[in-house]
Amino acid sequence: MFFTFLKLQWKSFFRGESVGVNVMTKVLKWFWIVYFGVITPLLGLITYKVLKEDLGIEDPFAYLNKNLIYVFAYWIVMRYFIQPIPVVAIKPLLLTPISKSKIVRHSLGKSIFSFFNIMAFFYLTPLTLILIEEGYQMNQLIGWNLSIIAFVYITNYLNFILNNNDKFLYSIAAILVLIKLLEYYSVFDFTIYSEAFFYSFYTNPLYSLLPWVFLIWLYFYVFKYFKNGLYIDLGLKKSTEEAKIDDFSWLNRFGKTAIFLKNDLRLIKRSKRARGTVLAGIFFLFYGFIFYFSEDIYGPSMTFFGYLFASGGFLFMFGAFVPSWDSQYYSLMMCQNIEYKEYIKSKWSLVVIGTAISTLLACFIYSFVGTNAIFAVLAGGLYNIGINGYLTLWAGAFTKTPIDLDSNKNIFGDTKAFNMKTLLITLPQLVLPIVLFSIGNYYYSASTGCLIVGTVGILGILLKEQVFNLIIKAYKTEKYSTLKAYKQN
Amino acid sequence: MITLKNITKKYSKQTVLDIIALDIPAGQTFGLVGNNGAGKTTMFSCLLDLIKPTTGNVLNNGVEVASSEKWKSFTSAFLDDTFLIGYLMPEEYFYFIGELRGLKKKEVDEFINQFEDFFHGEILGGKKYLRDLSKGNQKKAGVVAALLGEPKVVILDEPFANLDPSTQIRLKQILKDLSKNKETTILVSSHDIQDVTEVCERIVLLEKGKVIKDIVTSPKTLQELEEYFRR
Repeated sequence: MFFTFLKLQWKSFFRGESVGVNVMTKVLKWFWIVYFGVITPLLGLITYKVLKEDLGIEDPFAYLNKNLIYVFAYWIVMRYFIQPIPVVAIKPLLLTPISKSKIVRHSLGKSIFSFFNIMAFFYLTPLTLILIEEGYQMNQLIGWNLSIIAFVYITNYLNFILNNNDKFLYSIAAILVLIKLLEYYSVFDFTIYSEAFFYSFYTNPLYSLLPWVFLIWLYFYVFKYFKNGLYIDLGLKKSTEEAKIDDFSWLNRFGKTAIFLKNDLRLIKRSKRARGTVLAGIFFLFYGFIFYFSEDIYGPSMTFFGYLFASGGFLFMFGAFVPSWDSQYYSLMMCQNIEYKEYIKSKWSLVVIGTAISTLLACFIYSFVGTNAIFAVLAGGLYNIGINGYLTLWAGAFTKTPIDLDSNKNIFGDTKAFNMKTLLITLPQLVLPIVLFSIGNYYYSASTGCLIVGTVGILGILLKEQVFNLIIKAYKTEKYSTLKAYKQN
Repeated sequence: MITLKNITKKYSKQTVLDIIALDIPAGQTFGLVGNNGAGKTTMFSCLLDLIKPTTGNVLNNGVEVASSEKWKSFTSAFLDDTFLIGYLMPEEYFYFIGELRGLKKKEVDEFINQFEDFFHGEILGGKKYLRDLSKGNQKKAGVVAALLGEPKVVILDEPFANLDPSTQIRLKQILKDLSKNKETTILVSSHDIQDVTEVCERIVLLEKGKVIKDIVTSPKTLQELEEYFRR
């Protein structure tokens, strides 16, 4: 039975728009998987050391337990936006002689090996080894690990129920913020309970049976929930939300660009896929911290890279899918009373506005580090606007994978079209600014490095018209094949 | 208004469109009929520069569609659901198209209010996004949006399909009213020969991409077409 499902997925993969693009998409996906596969165990290895030595925390293990409540809450939110529910085109299977239980079992079983869950193992194993080395009890750690794994899978199956329930998710987020605020103003410290709770699995390894009992109960609950929902008017029904008009007429002062800007805002607001992507972009803001905490290891150039990335979240996550966001109605766009150039310009404006906001936020976040960091963030922001914005847009002309706005597929490259051109542009996008910075930094100072990168960015902004003519040319030659590819939604 | 010269479209070795010459004068109501795969949608797509013909070119009011974008200001179309923006409410969609055509919000409101009958209370003031409307209601919104801003050329692919009988009748009336002033060139394709003969002054029959018949509609037309399709 498993093989029947596999065969179906195999076919849907090889008979998709173009196998070449699909293969490269998978390559990119695997790139991300390998990337996280390497970085996650590394994080596991350094967590203890960073907490103890860099942050001066007495008992890092207790500190971890204290914050686990946030980790799991954050995890639920991340899963909601990013983790796809493995539903293999269930509708047509309903009338086949495959029993409903089998369909559900397959869907639920497949998620055991989802990227998210595997990453938990990748993190926990090195962390545990380090903890043993630091003198924590092995037997007790095994109990603790078992309970954590149970919680990981509890969030996994919770995601199945949550998948179409925005309200529940937002209430979790709201409660989280509330708890954090109460803690911040020391009204009520919830983390003490979190610590006591999770630490108890270490002191009493037998307690870890309890989350497993809950997990097993949850599995059967989800199983039943799913199986009962296998009707086209219940679980398989497209969920619809009540529509409300969003006016956004305050944007009208931006002229023709505003017409599109308004739609893009609505897109972000109303499509889960777009929302998730923007959210993922927001996490980039904190990318600089990774390098900040370990500047000694990475050196100034990589730290600069962190700051460059911090302002580029919107650009790299959302911008990289332009114009695929419009893939569902691209023919409409091509027939409307607007020149191609205007249309592309409006997309550019969106990316610029997003990047400018990210830059400002990043400046604010890293202001505690000092003026150096603000310089680096500003230089990175200018470069992202002046150079990377164009490059992303230009690459967009060759990105021909349609996006299904109504579904919530894996943001990490699952549907991101990928070809040599998009791979090659990462060189000028990420490598070039680092090289420029390093040259300035090597001969003079870090500020000189920032100055060079920032100047290149400003030059790019000044050359807007010329660059646009080139970009438009690419878009015009690719127009017909893009339209064709988008039709295979 | 619209001139096709030596238009062919080939996919590998298969020719899906092969029109030597076709001229549609301004103000004409033009109907395109043919079986599945006759090339109707391909022809309309070529007119809108959505597909690049293998040979030949299309002139729309003297503008070569493949090399200039000027035709976009006076042409509008509704071919299929790729002309709808799913995450917009119908009103927002109308305002969007209207804004692109230089209409103010109030003018759009005035325009769409004329179609209250046609919408049958299912489009305006609802609480649904276009993606959640039924196929028929989506089509209603798409067709009306294509009429916004007084375009000189309106291209509609299969506008009657998926519509309920009352709506079909109303749509035919709308198109007839529009053609009365002789200022709008209307191009319509359909599988239903009765619908087309009712609305259009001229009917072209395509088969395997070729023009088989080009007739001025008369009371005999329906019979003539039926005979053709019967064999």
